[in-house]
Amino acid sequence: MGNQFEAPALGRRGFIASVLATGAVGFGWGVMPGAGRPALAASNASFSPVNLIEIGADGIVTVNVTKSEMGQHVGTAFAQIVCEELEAPWGAMRIKHVDSDPQWGLMVTGGSWSINWTFDALSRAGAAGRTSLIAAAAKTWGVAADTLSASEGKVSGGGKSISFSELVASGAVSGAWTADDLKKLTLKKPASYKIIGKSVQALDIPLKVNGTAKYGIDFKLAGMLYGKIILPPTRNGATAKSVDDSAAKAIPGFVKALSLKDPSGSFTGLVVSVAETYWAAMRGAALVKVDWDAGPNAKVDDAALAAEAKRLQADPSEGATWVREGDAGAALAKAGKVITAEYTTGLNLHAPMEPTNATAEFKDGVWHLHGGNQFQTMSVPLVAKALEVDPSKVVLHQYWLGGGFGRRLLGDYFIPAALATKALGRPVKVVYSRTDDMRLDCARSPSWQKLSGAVADGKVAALTHDVACGWPTNNVAPALLGDDLDKKNKVDVFAINGADVWYTFPNHHVRLLDNKLAEATVPPGYLRSVAPGFTVWALESFVDELAHAANVDPVAFRLAHLDGAGKNDVGAQRLAAVLRQAVARSGYSSKKLPEGTAFGVAISQGQERAAATFTACVAEVTVNKKTGKFGINKLTVVYDVGTAISPDGVISQMESATLWGLSLALYETTTIRDGAIVAANFDGYTPTRMSQVPPMDMSYIATGVFPTGTGEPATTVVAPAIGNAIAMASGARVRALPITPAHVKAAMA
Amino acid sequence: MITINVNGHQQTLDVPPDMPLLWVLRDVLDLTGTKFGCGSNLCGACTVHKDGKAVRSCQVSIGDAAGANITTIEGLGAAGEHPVQAAWIKEQVPACGYCQSGQIMNAAAFLAANPDPEDEEIVRAMEGNLCRCSQYVRIQKAIKTAAETMKTGGAATNG
Ligand code: FES
Ligand code: FES
Repeated sequence: MGNQFEAPALGRRGFIASVLATGAVGFGWGVMPGAGRPALAASNASFSPVNLIEIGADGIVTVNVTKSEMGQHVGTAFAQIVCEELEAPWGAMRIKHVDSDPQWGLMVTGGSWSINWTFDALSRAGAAGRTSLIAAAAKTWGVAADTLSASEGKVSGGGKSISFSELVASGAVSGAWTADDLKKLTLKKPASYKIIGKSVQALDIPLKVNGTAKYGIDFKLAGMLYGKIILPPTRNGATAKSVDDSAAKAIPGFVKALSLKDPSGSFTGLVVSVAETYWAAMRGAALVKVDWDAGPNAKVDDAALAAEAKRLQADPSEGATWVREGDAGAALAKAGKVITAEYTTGLNLHAPMEPTNATAEFKDGVWHLHGGNQFQTMSVPLVAKALEVDPSKVVLHQYWLGGGFGRRLLGDYFIPAALATKALGRPVKVVYSRTDDMRLDCARSPSWQKLSGAVADGKVAALTHDVACGWPTNNVAPALLGDDLDKKNKVDVFAINGADVWYTFPNHHVRLLDNKLAEATVPPGYLRSVAPGFTVWALESFVDELAHAANVDPVAFRLAHLDGAGKNDVGAQRLAAVLRQAVARSGYSSKKLPEGTAFGVAISQGQERAAATFTACVAEVTVNKKTGKFGINKLTVVYDVGTAISPDGVISQMESATLWGLSLALYETTTIRDGAIVAANFDGYTPTRMSQVPPMDMSYIATGVFPTGTGEPATTVVAPAIGNAIAMASGARVRALPITPAHVKAAMA
Repeated sequence: MITINVNGHQQTLDVPPDMPLLWVLRDVLDLTGTKFGCGSNLCGACTVHKDGKAVRSCQVSIGDAAGANITTIEGLGAAGEHPVQAAWIKEQVPACGYCQSGQIMNAAAFLAANPDPEDEEIVRAMEGNLCRCSQYVRIQKAIKTAAETMKTGGAATNG
């Protein structure tokens, strides 16, 4: 992993930025925020060493936050990081979530990357500001800069002291920081941190308890119209043959039903009911008659997608190779006993609490789109394509996001508002009803995984892992597909991450199969925890099956494979450490459990090896062997976050990610019938509610190495830990998510 | 013309009587703190007080609200100083925050009727309020904190 104390090599970020900068999406984005724009000319109103921060003559420090805020309090963490190096008082820090602009470089919020990717740039921005302020004071006083120091918003030395605000107001502060200059700055060591590692109050929270926080759905323009989508009969492929809105005209305020052509191809058939109020648009929509052609997917259901997955798995010529260690095929052929298991996950929806929505406005030749977004770098060109304009003519204005979970990585929801505005010449706000939001979701594809393995001498002798699913990157950002090991096939790392474990297996083969029928039926997206949300479920469940076959305790079995050999150095040790801590805190080896109660464990790297958050979960579960009913007595989760910016923020994200994992493990799924998503609201799609929250113990390890993300990793480990505990308690091995009492009962029979 | 009292202000509105209170608040009165989440009594994001009781504003037509006193999150404690709001800050409850107006309004009405609740009563009262960010542990904690401060007659401190 290189030096754990330094910023990681550009890795995924570098790849994404370089692909997008090559013009694949017609845009020249830079890699790094904060570099590439010269500092503002010195003025006595404010000073900006790099574009990420601005220090006002009033002493207020504004951090330009390029990441979206959807519950992670990412802006607060950014402000802490800047504050640390700048030596400003915490009370002076403010955050501003910026609109899309090429100056910010790659704009994406996902993958639990935010802090890992920006910690270095933000630290250097703060350090640059401090260095310039000290230089200005030194010049003013005619002393050497190294005799001065900064703290709490003041530069002091030689018995003198001057505030940042006085320095800025004097116009004496200047400094144009190039990327090279920034690189030369020496950053603080963790031992001297003052604000990093402190649980500060999140800067966005006060607005979120008094109703003043403005989400995209709260945006309003004078004279704007409201639009309500009229759902097509299938998720994808339907076209509107004719639209009759004559009955709807009786509704006061109803304007018309628009049948819109979407040149981006995001919508094959798009009909929007438009009115002076949203209520009238909804009432009108109910009265509009659309003659639909349901399109090519009208007969597709879950069984058809599963059949396609099985066909792919059975064909050795299909698929992309993601991991190849030794020769797993040959080793399995030689093994005495081969264990094979198939694991599945169903269709999963994002359903953020704020239903998807957007408002469009055309002003002075520029399209302004209002609505929270997670992937401006891809959403801008997508909207531009739909509007048939140059991407430089599209600006996305950022708001608080009422949940993202990956839904807002795909900017398709801007298109109905944009096209309606174009058609009518008036701003239109399109709000998806909850049913629209669910049925038009870029849902996480179902997954079908087949694993085969053999054990010898208490260890894994060979493992093959076939993953079939719809690839989200084919839908959201095809330019970001990578090459497989053989450089022969494309691979969507966001459909397979997590299968490349830190265990040392002598023979290991992982293959990724592209279920195109799944992609055509429900064009997939990225859902919180992305691929590890299903790869870790299958892998960590199967590791327990292998441990059982080897007759070794599941924890000892895992530790035996976390030897840190070769490419697994450092990471395997860190994984072993979180596992040991989870084991210790849960009572795994010390607590006597009654009959029918057992522990189950699971570990993961969080998202991807290059930005791993080492994670372990121990679930304690009680199963009624007669009915299959089970209860979660406790979930113990441990992270290794490297460095915690805000301890309470880390715990909050751990709770949230753990319960999202619980929700996927036990409560959430829907199906596809006649080419459509079946769930229509929170009665058919049922995320965790308060009564379902089990006792939880959250803790983390922070050794002071480079920080990693916290918003997703726990999501990956909850389902396999629970499944493993259920198997241990009752002998029932459930291999499909969500796990229900009926599944458990069936697996016991 | 329909007359209602919202956050202490008398309002006379020219809107169709079947229009849900939710959309009147959000789109006509610009009180966007009340949120739309499901429109079907399934999430609680739209919770407001009608004559002191928590109601789902997506399920109440403006015609049925005529003459009532409505309180929204904006009127609960304008500066966020209601003990429930203060507790929400102290316990750092909101994540994305979108469900929290509804959670707070539901909790405030609940605590007004049941100032010293047992844990199970809290769960039962809050079960209809979905939080997709799953901040349930903190919501429970904050309700207890608020109950504590309301008992002693003070406001929860921000600490
Ligand atoms: S919007 Fe009213 S209960 Fe969900
Ligand atoms: S805080 Fe995001 S839905 Fe509750």
